[in-house]
Amino acid sequence: MSEAVLEINDLSLAFPISRSLADWVAGRPGKVVRALNGVSLQLQKGETLGVVGESGCGKSTLARCIVRLYEPTSGSVRHHGQDIFDASVRGDRAYNRRVQMMFQDPFSSLNPRMTTGQILSEALRVHEMRSEDQIPGRVAELLDLVRLPQDAAEKLPHEFSGGQRQRIAIARALAVEPEILIADELVSALDVSVQAQVVNLLLELQERLGLTVLFVAHDLRLVRHVSNRVAVIYLGRIVEIGDSETLFSSPSHPYSQALLSAAPSMDPDDKGQKVKLEGELPSPLNVPTGCAFHQRCRFADTRCHSESPTLRPLEGRGEVACHHVEKILHNA
Amino acid sequence: MEQTPILEVEGLCTTFGRGGQTLPALRDVSFTVGEGEVLGLVGESGSGKSVTLRSVLGLARRYGEVTGSVRWQGQELTTKSERDLRPIRGRDIAMIFQEPMTSLNPLLTVGQQLVETLQAHTDLPRKARRDRAIEMLDLVGIPAAASRLTDYPHQFSGGMRQRVMIAIALAASPKLLLADEPTTALDVTIQAQILDLILRLSSDMKMGVIMVTHDLGVVAQTCDRVAVMYAGRIVEQGPVRQVLRDPHHAYTVGLMQSVPEGVAPRTQLYSIPGTPPSLAHLPPGCAFAPRCAASTEACLATRPALLRVSEDRQLACFNPKTQTKGCAA
Repeated sequence: MSEAVLEINDLSLAFPISRSLADWVAGRPGKVVRALNGVSLQLQKGETLGVVGESGCGKSTLARCIVRLYEPTSGSVRHHGQDIFDASVRGDRAYNRRVQMMFQDPFSSLNPRMTTGQILSEALRVHEMRSEDQIPGRVAELLDLVRLPQDAAEKLPHEFSGGQRQRIAIARALAVEPEILIADELVSALDVSVQAQVVNLLLELQERLGLTVLFVAHDLRLVRHVSNRVAVIYLGRIVEIGDSETLFSSPSHPYSQALLSAAPSMDPDDKGQKVKLEGELPSPLNVPTGCAFHQRCRFADTRCHSESPTLRPLEGRGEVACHHVEKILHNA
Repeated sequence: MEQTPILEVEGLCTTFGRGGQTLPALRDVSFTVGEGEVLGLVGESGSGKSVTLRSVLGLARRYGEVTGSVRWQGQELTTKSERDLRPIRGRDIAMIFQEPMTSLNPLLTVGQQLVETLQAHTDLPRKARRDRAIEMLDLVGIPAAASRLTDYPHQFSGGMRQRVMIAIALAASPKLLLADEPTTALDVTIQAQILDLILRLSSDMKMGVIMVTHDLGVVAQTCDRVAVMYAGRIVEQGPVRQVLRDPHHAYTVGLMQSVPEGVAPRTQLYSIPGTPPSLAHLPPGCAFAPRCAASTEACLATRPALLRVSEDRQLACFNPKTQTKGCAA
């Protein structure tokens, strides 16, 4: 353990919106959507890091930055010490091979006109993983690995159910023998019982192949189940990161507390024992000053309005970005 | 808990035809909803939850054949003409659809859509309609309601749009609300707010609710009674505490065990073996039998009927599990 395979440092990404005529007349600069505002984290070898947060908080943007689908505005992502956005590495396919992404929507992430066999062999061919005559054998091996029948190779994606399609997506990612898997809401579109099958498969393959997984999801129960560590993101910033069990059983940041207690419990007698959160996620077009959470926080004071808290380690817990966390935990 | 039911559904069957095939989407579904009661309908995709709601409102009969009886406060709805249904739809029985992104008209302002409902179902004069529209938006927790009446749906976020949908559904003070996965597209924090809102309105206005969802957590937190559906039939029905604490049907048990709660982290989750049957090739016996560990020859040959097993619980199974520990135990 404790060998960082991926180091993300102060990663920020802003998407500019085209300047409107009114802005132009008034001489205002165009607006920007600040999707990520200084995210730093490390991915340790062999671990599963869960990433949770509300929609629009930057979870998927972070995942996409890691696989170089987006280029960050500032900050760096280092893979074994090498900056992946460095000009000399930029065109290098080796990194693409080692870090593979699986997408949320099983219906639009597979080419509808290619058979499963073609989808898998394309991945093998592009990265020159096997010689041409070994490809069919490897495809059969991959189908076996994700427990799809061998005749699946001849079928088109529309002939499969959602759960089976996600297996194809997993097989495609594993075809190139990656080191890191990025799972962006991999099972969110599936029914609970199918979800369980895909999650079981992922856990088993991770164990067997020694994979490192970044698991982005909004289903908190599921994230708790699969993750070793968890990062809670709010408006493009990590507000709390730490060991999964500690964080879920006693969250420290007021936002983590509210987020976790909002998940409906399976016990009918838990009704109405919640830390309620008012309002919605502020727009990333207009990120509040200071702590981004202060407008919805019960504990906010003037310091939170002006001064942005940094992540700092807390004894017996993970790292938390909150000015008043000691006081909150003391009073709890 | 003795209530007179406002909605009584009996032997509801909905069949869709496609290319010479008949697909029985609902088979012999019966349930009741009392005044101010929240009934949950759970099951996997394709189990017939949404078709049930659509059949109750008479929206399914345009596409398929609906038989059986739907009685609304004593009146039979299935035989009513579209014209006669009109005053009931929207005024007495309202529906919230699953996707807040596509269910509002993008070309009309939110205010116009709210006022339209009021115009159709109430006698309020113009000024009063506007006031009522503002009141409704306020009620569902949209800040600065008066100024947002002239906004279009795209100017609202997902959670806000779902609130607008609820405001429209509740504008005419319906006695029954059909909610088709009202929070599935939303974040947990917003989900908690919307569910709170529906529950509060249900108890304040004595409104009955049918809550369709696939999230057992939502059922546990909101419903009084729950009906579990599988392949177009109700397989188990009863008060939410009893069903979740002590599920009898093997499918309910499997559904509850698939939820990662109370299991050691990073261990294998339980998953029901096999896949749901295709509606075109339903087995002659119990539809769940091929996936069921306790199935016998009787299960494969004959279909178990939904029978009363205790005072207020019903079950369709020959080999019920008793005292199985549910997740909530």
